[in-house]
Amino acid sequence: MKINDLSLYSRYAFRDLTRSYSKILSIIITLLISLFILSAILTIEDSLENELNENSKVLLGGDLEIDYNNKEGDRSLINQVESFSTVSQMVEFSTMISTTKNKNNKTSFTRIKAVDQNYPLYGEVIYEPIGSLENLNKIDNTIIVNENIFKNLELKINDIVKVQNKEFKVIGTVKVLPDIGGAFVFGDFALTGKKTLDNLELNTLGSFLNYEYKIRFDGDENKDNKINKIVNIFKNDSKVKIRYPENSAGGIKRIIDNFSQFLSLVSISAMLIAGIGIANTLLSFINQKNSSIAVQKSIGINSVNIKTIYYLQLFIILFFISLIAYGLSFLLVPIVDKYISDGFGLNIEASFSLTNLSIVFLVGLLVIIIFSIPTVNSIDQIKASSLFRNVFQSLQFKYSKKSIILSLFLLAILIILFAYRSSLPYYSLIYFASFFVCLAMFFYVSRLIILLLRNNLTNLGISSKIAVKNITQSKSITPITVMSLGLGMTLLLTLAFVGSNFKREIAKSIPDIAPDYFFLGIQNNQKDLFQKVINETDEDAVIEIVPIVSAGIVKINGIDPNTYISNSNDSYWVIMNDRRVSWVDTIPKDNPILEGSWWDTSQPNKLQISLDSKVAKDFGVNIGDKFTLRIYGREIEGEVVNLRLVNYQDLSINFAMLLNPQFAKNIPHEYLSTIKFKKADNFNEVNFLDQFPSVSIIKISDYLSKVTDVLNKVFIAVSIISAVTVIIGLVVISSAIIVQGKIKTFQNLIFKILGFSKKEIIISSIIEFIISFLSIILFSTVFSVIASKFIIENIFQLNWLFEFEIFLYVIIGVGLTTLALIILTNLKYLSPKVYPLVRNE
Amino acid sequence: MSKLLKLSNVNLNYTIDSKSINILKNISFDVDYKETISVVGESGSGKTSLIMLIGGLEKVSSGNIFFRDSELSKMNEDEISEIRRKNIGIVFQSFYLIPNYTALENVSLSLEINKFDNPKSKAKEILDRFGLSNRFNNFPSQLSGGEQQRVAIARSVAMKPEIILADEPTGNLDSENTHKISNLLFNYIEDENASLIMVTHDNNLANLTKRKITIKDGVISENK
Repeated sequence: MKINDLSLYSRYAFRDLTRSYSKILSIIITLLISLFILSAILTIEDSLENELNENSKVLLGGDLEIDYNNKEGDRSLINQVESFSTVSQMVEFSTMISTTKNKNNKTSFTRIKAVDQNYPLYGEVIYEPIGSLENLNKIDNTIIVNENIFKNLELKINDIVKVQNKEFKVIGTVKVLPDIGGAFVFGDFALTGKKTLDNLELNTLGSFLNYEYKIRFDGDENKDNKINKIVNIFKNDSKVKIRYPENSAGGIKRIIDNFSQFLSLVSISAMLIAGIGIANTLLSFINQKNSSIAVQKSIGINSVNIKTIYYLQLFIILFFISLIAYGLSFLLVPIVDKYISDGFGLNIEASFSLTNLSIVFLVGLLVIIIFSIPTVNSIDQIKASSLFRNVFQSLQFKYSKKSIILSLFLLAILIILFAYRSSLPYYSLIYFASFFVCLAMFFYVSRLIILLLRNNLTNLGISSKIAVKNITQSKSITPITVMSLGLGMTLLLTLAFVGSNFKREIAKSIPDIAPDYFFLGIQNNQKDLFQKVINETDEDAVIEIVPIVSAGIVKINGIDPNTYISNSNDSYWVIMNDRRVSWVDTIPKDNPILEGSWWDTSQPNKLQISLDSKVAKDFGVNIGDKFTLRIYGREIEGEVVNLRLVNYQDLSINFAMLLNPQFAKNIPHEYLSTIKFKKADNFNEVNFLDQFPSVSIIKISDYLSKVTDVLNKVFIAVSIISAVTVIIGLVVISSAIIVQGKIKTFQNLIFKILGFSKKEIIISSIIEFIISFLSIILFSTVFSVIASKFIIENIFQLNWLFEFEIFLYVIIGVGLTTLALIILTNLKYLSPKVYPLVRNE
Repeated sequence: MSKLLKLSNVNLNYTIDSKSINILKNISFDVDYKETISVVGESGSGKTSLIMLIGGLEKVSSGNIFFRDSELSKMNEDEISEIRRKNIGIVFQSFYLIPNYTALENVSLSLEINKFDNPKSKAKEILDRFGLSNRFNNFPSQLSGGEQQRVAIARSVAMKPEIILADEPTGNLDSENTHKISNLLFNYIEDENASLIMVTHDNNLANLTKRKITIKDGVISENK
């Protein structure tokens, strides 16, 4: 086709569109909603990534970070760095903060940053009152707590709190810290001066002590040169880990990636359901243009050119809707920013991305073309000769071998596009496969309903007969209703089942399995006293107490452990930092051995390692492989002798690595304990901390309520977003009814002439809906049960139960909404005016 | 001088429920340049089918149709469209204007498709000639039956085709409008030296043509 022709057909397409857009309004609405969701995901993801990239130095807290883990850094080496840059030293640790009022004192497990006067090197700490941050290093024993601690402990400025056994004055509150890249996003936190650190008795393990040195490059010297200098300075210090800005916020990035991947899949589901509606509405639109197309053919415009005009119309719609949807997505950014700035201290701004706009347009184009190929091809069925006979037959979707191959090819591109952009392409592919299997199943369900009802009209009331006739007629909307609503319902039910099972399992773990408290940092010499105090408090308390020591995996079979695993793997955490390891004499009850044998007591001088079987699988490690562990700076080689099944969900003490006690018992260690009280009310946290100031307490129920609170919010957000697929399904159904409008009006006219009441016609609509909806419920329940059971049992490894209450909420909610929509859409066809119809006007 | 149109042993068969029905049987006749022909016959005799074949809107089952020495029956759809676009104007009984196009847009459609310079002014000229200068921007629903048919004829002659195929052009009109439309059509054909093949039941109208072909049961029973 020549450019001139294209320009001419574009003008026709534009003109036709401006005059008939109301007839394809449902195409516009469904496209707009689904492209808006996709745009919103891309825009917010992009804004977040921009913020993280632009602020990577802020999130890291410097141009570079020297991480000494739980040991103070080598001062002579740090001094060398200070000669050409600014260094801010900070120590992070976890401990308890308690109020010191006379009665009803409260405690809070808190992550504290002890910072020097250079903090922060980049970014801004949002705190009040003015000057309190500076005073941390001027006035001893002062602290600034986050707003949550301030509120929960009912503090006032200048109140005195206890940190361990020392008193600190609360001189301010902090809202946002800049360097949150690797640390406490969800927990409570506080700031104190670096000097005050010396006043505390911090133990290295229970306090999760971490020494960090943030570095800012000053002067004009080349940045790479400075990095090289620093790498050289620390090259012989094996305890050091150097972190760069590009590695900051890895955790946040992973959360964003996973969440946006899920939302992308929801949005593409919405788009594909919209595609069903687009195909149907477009076919009706072309049917209405039947005679105009025949006229165009009669004056010599061929089928290809006419099809070009329709494709151009779709292209124009898509172009403008993509722009509008992408533009509208910018309005969401300030809303998301509000939540993110409160939670993460990140401030996001919308920025235009041609790539994202192109992706939105491309995805829309692929979906539109895939679904409109059989529809637009129906134009071939229109013959100019129909104009002589004045007889126009209704068009049907036209499938040819060529068009099916093209549709499949474009679908493959669409799937590859999503899978390629995904961090977990395998899951995306499984999702697409499941989606299309469900789509096909729902199509066959609709055919089955029609087949079963077609020959069973006898012995039915008149309303039921009309309903059955409506379902089984050749232009029935049953397939579209069943497919579009079925897919939306399946997705919504699946997520509802996953959410409710997940929450139930977490809630269930509190009374059944989980202990009441975790106690961290019990010193070797405090073990007996600790047990005595607990027994005095509650003689029936179940105490589990285990030794812990910090160990880092330096090598596996003599080589860098990083060569065994990628940093995106679930088990990467095992080598990311030093881990707590323990030792026990007997096999833990809930940790059965899957492979290998328990400790070989005949070799007490040989380090033996019992490894989490999942970790072993992810690393590709087997029995007999050698691990080199660094414990207190000393490298010790041990052999993996068995693999255990570790269930972290029960919240009891679990370790990825256990050592043989014969070898490990002489290593200096602390203790970690869990307690399950019979008489929990007897236990007073504040009194306990008076006796054990260096011990940290984590109340499991508080911790779990925080986790469930976050999960609740996530699941509500996810469910609301997923409900979009149902909304799109409803728009598709509504448009399918409107498409039937003329037939419905004629049908209702005939009923009117025959003396039917409106009530009987409405009842027939309700019966029609109930027949379709019952089938949808049945099959979407089956599909969602299979999907949610797979997710809960295989991915989360929890128990799955059919949640009848949730099931009822979803089906009643969706059912009533759909029924209301169907009746409302049908209402306007209930009172046809006789005259215009009889005169065929 | 060769003929404008030549039909030679044309047959048209339809298969309905595995039964073959002969709609037209061994139709042969020529049409000269500037010749006007009426095709008459009873309903169902095959008149409309004949002009559908001549317009290239149906394919012959056997036989040949030549349009200025080019054989229509051997052409593909695009080639036939090209000939129809430039050389054949068709007028229908039911007018068939495009409902969401104005009178002017309906007429300029074929001019634009054929890449005429200033298609709008040319369309206005034709509509003006057909007495519709005050109806340029009206949609078909805003026009009377007679006006709609005048717009339809204006559309069919816009490209100055060499032949006009008209199927009962006055079949949906009253006697006054029938008179107006026939005058307009025949005056135009005379002025522009075009040919006309017109299917009609109206003997008065048929008598205005130079030749009358009568079809009975798919066979030419009279050609004079």
